[in-house]
Amino acid sequence: MTVTTLNTDRKLSERFHWISRLLEGWSIYRKSLLGKIGLTLLALFALMALCSFIPPWVDPMYQPMTGVDPEISYSVGPSMRHWLGTDFMGRDILSQLLAGARIAFMVGVSAAFMSVVLGTAIGMIAGYMGRFVDTILMRLADMIMVMPTLLVVLILAALFGQLNIWTIVLIIALFRWPGVSRVIRAQTLSLKHRPFIEAARVAGASHLRIIFRHIMPNVLPLSFLYMTFRVTSAIIIEAALAFLGFGDPGTVSWGMMLQWVWKTGHMFKAPYWLLPPGICISLITLSFYMLGRAMDEVLDPRLRKEGETD
Amino acid sequence: MALLVAENLSVGYQTQKGYLHAVEGVSFSLGAGKSLGLVGESGCGKTTLAMAMMRLLPPNGMIRQGRIFFDGEDLLQKTDEEMRQVRWKKIAMIFQAAMNALNPVHRVIDQIAEAILTHDPLCDKEEAYEQVRGLFQLVGLPQDRMRDYPHQYSGGMKQRAVIAMALACQPKLIIADEPTTALDVLVQDQILQETKNLQKEFGISIIYISHDISIVADVCHDVGIMYAGQLVEYGAREEIFDSPRHPYTKALLSSYPTLTGEKNRLVPIPGETPNLIHPPLGCRFCDRCSRASVSCRTETPVWIEISPRHKALCD
Amino acid sequence: MELWRYISRRLIQIVVIFFVILTVLFLLFRLAPGDPVSRMVDPNLTPEDAELLIKELGLDQPLWMQYLYYLKNFFTGHFGNSFHYGQPVVQIIWDRLPNTILLFTTSIILSALVGVFLGKIASWHKGEKTDTCMTLGALVTHTVFLPWMALIMIWVFAYKLGWFPITGMISEEIWLDPEVGLWRKVLDVLHHMILPLTTLFLIHFGSYLLIMRSSMLDTLKEDYILTGRAKGLPEKVIRDHHAAPNAALPVVTSVGLSLALSINGGALTETVFSWPGIGRELVFSVSHNDYPLAQASFLLIAVVVLLSNLVVDILYAYLDPRIRY
Repeated sequence: MTVTTLNTDRKLSERFHWISRLLEGWSIYRKSLLGKIGLTLLALFALMALCSFIPPWVDPMYQPMTGVDPEISYSVGPSMRHWLGTDFMGRDILSQLLAGARIAFMVGVSAAFMSVVLGTAIGMIAGYMGRFVDTILMRLADMIMVMPTLLVVLILAALFGQLNIWTIVLIIALFRWPGVSRVIRAQTLSLKHRPFIEAARVAGASHLRIIFRHIMPNVLPLSFLYMTFRVTSAIIIEAALAFLGFGDPGTVSWGMMLQWVWKTGHMFKAPYWLLPPGICISLITLSFYMLGRAMDEVLDPRLRKEGETD
Repeated sequence: MALLVAENLSVGYQTQKGYLHAVEGVSFSLGAGKSLGLVGESGCGKTTLAMAMMRLLPPNGMIRQGRIFFDGEDLLQKTDEEMRQVRWKKIAMIFQAAMNALNPVHRVIDQIAEAILTHDPLCDKEEAYEQVRGLFQLVGLPQDRMRDYPHQYSGGMKQRAVIAMALACQPKLIIADEPTTALDVLVQDQILQETKNLQKEFGISIIYISHDISIVADVCHDVGIMYAGQLVEYGAREEIFDSPRHPYTKALLSSYPTLTGEKNRLVPIPGETPNLIHPPLGCRFCDRCSRASVSCRTETPVWIEISPRHKALCD
Repeated sequence: MELWRYISRRLIQIVVIFFVILTVLFLLFRLAPGDPVSRMVDPNLTPEDAELLIKELGLDQPLWMQYLYYLKNFFTGHFGNSFHYGQPVVQIIWDRLPNTILLFTTSIILSALVGVFLGKIASWHKGEKTDTCMTLGALVTHTVFLPWMALIMIWVFAYKLGWFPITGMISEEIWLDPEVGLWRKVLDVLHHMILPLTTLFLIHFGSYLLIMRSSMLDTLKEDYILTGRAKGLPEKVIRDHHAAPNAALPVVTSVGLSLALSINGGALTETVFSWPGIGRELVFSVSHNDYPLAQASFLLIAVVVLLSNLVVDILYAYLDPRIRY
């Protein structure tokens, strides 16, 4: 049938177009200084996360949560034995830091991923359906964006008791999707009237099919690019929660480390304990921000340095 | 003595890909009270020429050579401070796309008054407002709209406001860069007629820049045809239209329909404008010219005087 | 006038949103796992008092009746008694509200004004050392983890250098002394406020700086700026009178968008500095299972956020003639 072949041809060229755009984006990204620094820092943290498995493997006393050093049961400064010193229970700070990196990535990426999935689905539906559905969904998005996420999670913590790390991730995702959905909705709106969508409709495709088979592949690249913006806020929210004492007590995150330093009164006495987690959280935020800025240049041609286009 | 004399002006831009020769060796003169029309397609350098005359080029633009004499003084020798005093008071400009020429957060009356107050320190605010009132009347804008903001004006009204603003300091020369391009034809016509009247009444010289030769034919005494940064033909309006010499001029004229005379086929000009970063050695119109010869490509074209008031870069 | 219509429309939107929040909170508290009664009734009350309270709150009635009681209680200001303090919740949050407003408003205004000012200067010196320093500084301060920054500030300036008090808003000795005049009391509060204010300021001014900077760079490309130059206006006039007012508009919008984040930061700052505000009260009440206080604090914060949004919107409408007329 001519209509379906037209459809397939378009889809193929759209698919390849996507790949070529990705490559073009990468070459622009590479030129950005911020992007390079950001990526380097992130690679560093990723390395930290991967290395988090090493210390406990070397010696069980390096376990971040349960490690017990037979000789030290209080906080002590850096030494050969403990490169960053120990916390108030004699646990190794460096291994806590490495484990924290792992948690940060886990929380950040999962929450970002979930919020992007949710935001993309809602954005596509709102953009495609239009009118009533669109208005309701966007009003909902507005309301959620107005609310201070941290405080909402606090209230939920009050109700549901101690929160498990995955619950925290889920809640963060539930509050971060509005940002993504707006962008995806705008993209969907511009795609909605393209000929290949019309062709699919004429051929009798159901709305659901159109959304997921035709629109989605074209908005997905955008979704994933926007994921970078979501990761930082997820990490910060988890860190703030842990800092306040509402984190998952079974996980060692950087926020949790800060909570321990603060609550056990070692704040003024143990800079080796106070400084590393804070620096890590700040640096990972910085690196994602730089990544995001470089992404901005890829996404928005106007931001590129003059003379680089065409 | 001519009010404005441009002598061998060359202007260009420094870009990532190299130096762009936007204007090359342009010379012309304009008498007081007369109007000159500069015609050419997009990218031929007419706007660059206008900007150069007011020394409003962007940071990467530079005037490579030449002189611009205004009222006997070389504008290119002036300091920034001196130039600021020349701008608007002696030479004013009406920009392309007046849509955005006015600041959206200030009232129209204030923006026009600002021009007056900047150049006449002795004037006070009330007097300035009084003058604006007069200007509004002159350009046909209703007095009760003076205190409005630009977004409340229609396209035509905005253009008139911009014209009023240009007249505010009674300049001797107004450079109008495609002032009516974005307007519909009726308004376009109105504004053109009003411009002619204003010119006659106040004796202001006008340089009228357009890609539309028919507009220029209506308003201007002299016409200059520009192509790829060069002036290719220049002379009195009647002579240019009655006996165009340069192939580009001829092609331009035949690509516009005429109301009178025989019905000829409209002939578009094939090809594209040359690359101005590496401009060709010989005539720049060669590639698109039906009469191109081998010598055209290699030899620099020279001016041929067809009559005292008409010269062309070809014959 | 257009402005009033705009304001009233926004006001209605806010009221609607608030009602939704109110209802959602109600449902959450009643339907969350566990016994809702124990959440509303202080476990320390005697059985008779508990019985009375249950009747008063309508906890023995069907859900929709409870909702009506809830609304009625809300509008008559009956939030119950705090489990922890034993006092009426209204009293507590009423005491705390001005402290939060003081800190919050001052920090936002300060960081917005300074951020805009510096951003304008940075854009003007684009590419030069001044610009690079400012942009880098903004970037770094903006991404530092707020509670950690607070801890560091306390450690360095309060503990090590002893310039500022470590926590709190007031020094009791000064406030309890009947001989001390108003001026000294005000100075005392200011003295306590400097560290938390500085922390909030440092974290937030960066984003305003960056936005103003890029906004100015965009604005300077506009046609009316060229008109201004052609008119022979001095550069300073063009920058401050023509470009800046236009460039500042997106900054105002961004203040509005980041209000939620600012409140988060405010709550964290209050907690670390023990500044007696609503944010700290919320955190405190949640960790002590003081439900009535938690609920009321949250609602009040929601009101503050919504009203701030409204204020920002009105400010924007006032500044941009395209909306006003």
